[in-house]
Amino acid sequence: MTPRGPSLYGRLAGVITVVLAIGALVLGWAAWLYARVAADEAYDRLLVGAALQIAESVATEPGRVTVDPPISAFETLALATDDRIFYRVTDPTGENLTGQDDLASARKQGRPGREPVLADGTYRGFPVRIVTLGRYVTGPGVDGWVEVTLAQTRLARLELARDLTLKSLLLVLGMSVLALVALLLAVRVALRPLQAVQAAIAARDPKDLQPVEIEAPREVAMLVDSINHFLGRLAERVGGMERFIADAAHQIRTPLTALAAQVDLLSTESRAERRRQQMARVRERIEQLGRLTSQLLSHAMVIHRREVVQLGPVDLVPVAQAALKEAVPLSLDRDIRVVFEPAEPSLVIRGDRVSIGEVIANAVHNAIRHGAPGLLALRLSRDGEEALVEIVDDGPGIPAAHWGEVVKPFVRGDSEAAGSGLGLTIVADVVLAHGGRLMFRQDPSGHFVVSLRFPLLAQAEDASRLTEDAA
Amino acid sequence: MRRALILIAACLLAAPIRAQDALTTFPAPGTERQVLTLDTATDLAAFEPLIRDFQRIAPDVTIRYREFVTNALFEQARGECLAERPGADLVITSSVDHLVVLSNAGCALAHRSPETLAAPGWTRWRDEVFGFTFEPAVIVYNRALLKPEEVPRTRLDLIELMREQPARFSGRIGGYDIARSGIGYLFAAFDARNALIYGRLIEGFGRMRIITRCCSSDLIEELGKGELFIGYNILGSYAYSAQKAGAPIGIVIPHDYVLALSRGVMIPARTRQPDLAKRFLDYLLSQRGQRVVQQEAFFFGLNGSVPDGVEAPPGGLTSGMLRPIVIGPGLLPTQDRAKRERFLREWQNALQGAEPRRLQ
Repeated sequence: MTPRGPSLYGRLAGVITVVLAIGALVLGWAAWLYARVAADEAYDRLLVGAALQIAESVATEPGRVTVDPPISAFETLALATDDRIFYRVTDPTGENLTGQDDLASARKQGRPGREPVLADGTYRGFPVRIVTLGRYVTGPGVDGWVEVTLAQTRLARLELARDLTLKSLLLVLGMSVLALVALLLAVRVALRPLQAVQAAIAARDPKDLQPVEIEAPREVAMLVDSINHFLGRLAERVGGMERFIADAAHQIRTPLTALAAQVDLLSTESRAERRRQQMARVRERIEQLGRLTSQLLSHAMVIHRREVVQLGPVDLVPVAQAALKEAVPLSLDRDIRVVFEPAEPSLVIRGDRVSIGEVIANAVHNAIRHGAPGLLALRLSRDGEEALVEIVDDGPGIPAAHWGEVVKPFVRGDSEAAGSGLGLTIVADVVLAHGGRLMFRQDPSGHFVVSLRFPLLAQAEDASRLTEDAA
Repeated sequence: MRRALILIAACLLAAPIRAQDALTTFPAPGTERQVLTLDTATDLAAFEPLIRDFQRIAPDVTIRYREFVTNALFEQARGECLAERPGADLVITSSVDHLVVLSNAGCALAHRSPETLAAPGWTRWRDEVFGFTFEPAVIVYNRALLKPEEVPRTRLDLIELMREQPARFSGRIGGYDIARSGIGYLFAAFDARNALIYGRLIEGFGRMRIITRCCSSDLIEELGKGELFIGYNILGSYAYSAQKAGAPIGIVIPHDYVLALSRGVMIPARTRQPDLAKRFLDYLLSQRGQRVVQQEAFFFGLNGSVPDGVEAPPGGLTSGMLRPIVIGPGLLPTQDRAKRERFLREWQNALQGAEPRRLQ
């Protein structure tokens, strides 16, 4: 059972809700700040207007300044119904003309001026907004700035700010809910193709490895492609396995039948000479069977590795040398000259070290078994962008007519010769899997050449990969 | 000691006027559990029915009723507030501008109840100052001395009357001394605000050598005796009360515009018994209290009802001609030091400066 995480829908809904909630909080806070500024601006206008009206009522009489705060100024301020009002008017000498003597000016420094100065403060414990502005008076015995300071408590401002914030919060909440609903619907719609894919796969016959045919949006189409690619490889692999099993069964049955017949003969043979000959043939058959089995295993291994192993940089020179060493038996029944001729110090390709070793060994093995009366050469060289591995022997080789067939499983160049036809098949498979080619030729000196060509790794890549490998 | 000093000061200030700080105690009809102190600038005769009725629903409350003139009451309440000293449990005055100044300075306790919220918007401010009566400024005249067709029904009528018969009315017109009477000052200030003819009116008063008095009762008494022919801007409630008691006076609610005051009540922030004070306040504003206000104490209703025997404008008291003295920050400038000084000076000048014009 696949471990089941929280549902995609639930997770998305959660994330969206959190984001929207945080957004709403931030917006609400911003709305509160903005609303306070807006409320201050609105009521500051009234406050400054009222202060100006009071300043307008300043007049001079000989030797003194008079002020007559107009009722309209207070009625202006009374628009903020419940707010307290404090004010103070001072003459050029700083003497209080009217209002609250202990009300502080909003002007903290600088000289008095016409421009209203606004400030926040407290008066008798009430938080207030204060404006101070000046009016220059000049007359007999009077010359200087009269200052009007007007303060109002903040109830109406707070009320307005609260009201504005509440309204914007309602808007924000409304939009958030709308966005949430829309996003959840969108997610639901977006996830629908996934359900279609799931349904299509679930409804499938287990043996059906055909690609899934579903029209899906681009994002989901990638998933469908991946599934199809996977299905394709699975089908290939299953097909290969089925073929292999059928072939292998067939291959093993034939020598076993022959072996059984020979053992039967052996059991009835009384002549010692014949028995000895028969025994030799049985041994030969068993050896052949052993070879066949090991080749089948080798083939299976190579196929398996082709599917499983990650390809990496492989230097052909040491691999080929090792394979040669492994493939040439310590004692041969013939006197063969074995030659290893690397033309380059190293030839790096991208591949699977084990499979490549195996195929070179296989090719060498094949050469020894089928020909090579006196010479076996393993030549490595570079041909343009390709690495060339040549297995050369002085035997008869494979007739050119059979070159196409020998790479198919269980077809031997010479049907009578001992051994199985799997050797070159494996070689062909692996070379193909590495993006290379398998070729046969008869060289001018009459030697038979099996050549494996692999694409070389690019120089730079090659170096870095190798160091990486070493590390 | 301090309070005694203030009382002495108040007495000195108002020495020529009337007895100050007249304390009347209404003992609890039942067992006394609480004492409520009312500092008022209201005639006891008018207010007594309210006290009696309240004691019917709160028989365990003894009520101390201290009577001041408006300005003395203002100083008393302000002194208590600035000294942060508990004093009265309720302050009741017709000079609502005083209460607005006190509330603005943070001297009042807020109270919000179904009763306070039911009151008309112009009669309350900040849930601290409440008006509980409706008292128009009226023209009062002596019925024996004025022929019915002579009775002035508008301010213009009054100006005409004074212009046409200066000899007859000289020294026979009465009004408040606005320097001493808070309500007189308030009405004058609102007249100045409302009427383009205010200047002519004052000028006329000056020519007639208007007789000024501190208090409604003095004016009404002299009107009843025939020493005064016409009284201008007299509190309608007191005038009606006198008329009801048999004084031979007629009452006209001006037909051009009507100044109307709602007598104010406020709970001082330092009261010792806020709950009882709120209870009394709620009573004043309740239906039961308002019924007493209208039928026994102040006679006019907040709904604009006019008692029989008062000559009202033909269409009744419509909002178009009604100029209520709105309880709110708009009353602050009337108590502005500079403004008050200037207004009083101009008033004095107008009354005295008018004399040379007689030469015309």
